[in-house]
Amino acid sequence: MQKLLLILRTAMCMVCITTLAACASPAAVQAWEKGNLARPEMTFDSDRLDTKFVEHTYFSKEAAFGGSTVGGGGCGCN
Amino acid sequence: MGRQSAAVAAVVIEREGALTHPCNLARTLLAASLVLAFGSVAAQALPGEGRVALKYLDYVDSQPGKERVRVKATSVMAVVPVSQDWSFAATNTVDAISGASPAYHSAGLGKLTDLRSAQDFSVTRFLANGTVTGGVSLSTEADYVSRAVSLNTAQFSEDRNTTWSVGVAHASDDINPTNRIVRNERKQVTDALLGWTRVLTPHDLVQFNLGRSWGEGYFSDPYKVFDNRPRGRTSTTFQTRWNHHFEATTSTLRMGYRWFSDNWGVQAHTATVEWVQPLPGDWSVSPLVRFHNQRAADFYIDADLTGSPFPPNPPPEAVVFSEDHRLSSFGALTLGLKLAKKLDADWSVDIKVEHYAQRSGWYVGGTGSPGLEPFFARSVQFGLSRTF
Repeated sequence: MQKLLLILRTAMCMVCITTLAACASPAAVQAWEKGNLARPEMTFDSDRLDTKFVEHTYFSKEAAFGGSTVGGGGCGCN
Repeated sequence: MGRQSAAVAAVVIEREGALTHPCNLARTLLAASLVLAFGSVAAQALPGEGRVALKYLDYVDSQPGKERVRVKATSVMAVVPVSQDWSFAATNTVDAISGASPAYHSAGLGKLTDLRSAQDFSVTRFLANGTVTGGVSLSTEADYVSRAVSLNTAQFSEDRNTTWSVGVAHASDDINPTNRIVRNERKQVTDALLGWTRVLTPHDLVQFNLGRSWGEGYFSDPYKVFDNRPRGRTSTTFQTRWNHHFEATTSTLRMGYRWFSDNWGVQAHTATVEWVQPLPGDWSVSPLVRFHNQRAADFYIDADLTGSPFPPNPPPEAVVFSEDHRLSSFGALTLGLKLAKKLDADWSVDIKVEHYAQRSGWYVGGTGSPGLEPFFARSVQFGLSRTF
């Protein structure tokens, strides 16, 4: 389990580094190439109610919170 | 698709690739069609379709041999574009909470019953190269009332490949626990978020968010024994998300990572991976896995089973302390599966099942907090939505 978690954490670091390197690329995506980006699954918040339920649940069970949005207020659940 | 309509489509896609709004290919094509019909290059971001959605949650958590909290929640959302420049959104949620919660660590389970009602309302103004969204929220429980306001802005680059976003929010909470341990307590929390979203390739979208939260007031849990937390809490988050589409299989890989740190000594790493696989007949299946690794708050008091059934006393010199297992060191794993079906052009349904397990033995980076029972949670969501 510990080894698996170490592998997962290393993989995430590599994703971050690769993404940062890719961001430095000067190639611009043209408007007519963006068809796949219109898919709901390609957005970061395609199911808002699902996201609200999930974030509320984790907020009530863990000490960490936030990261992607602001707003929504608090609750007595934490 | 002409250049002008493609540019409009790109604006819609870019807006929808930012932090808050959904989009689909049909809306893109509609926007393109409008441009072809009216012959103008609309550099302005456009409202999307209207949408009404319903979601029902059945949640239950437990520890070995004991069921704990059960929640049945219903949430309704409406997104209504009222013109080319404005869109409104409203959400109403009702949570029915029952069951039992520990008074300290994993012990002293005490019954609880509550009803929470929450409403959110937001208005979005679509500008030439971005959007501005103002929102208000209200959450009401028998012992806790939260009022919040928020403002989010998104600015697009000239080529619509980059979005910069800024969000601020403030919540003011009133706390009056039913056990009257404290009366008329308050909490004020201010949040800020800077975001950067970039179209890397025709198949890749990446986002970085940097967040900061400042809170002051009453953070303790009045229903737990030996719980006296600091009256201030400042935290920082760094989050990155990356979505990649595989054209050959029409599937999408969604990955996310968040780092969290606060002045209570809590540090956490959270990684999420989800795979979205379209299937024949307008079905899609999405397995997901999430791992959360958390270091305990500095003032967390470890369980000491030698004194059972009594909770361990905090050190005599301790001013702040807590025996809430949610502030302990642990690792938590979520396995989930979502199944969705488009019934026709407007209607869709979905069901999502998630199983969550929290164990101190899964903590990475040291020794997890001792003496705690494993904690489990199961949630099922049913969803129905219609676009118009």
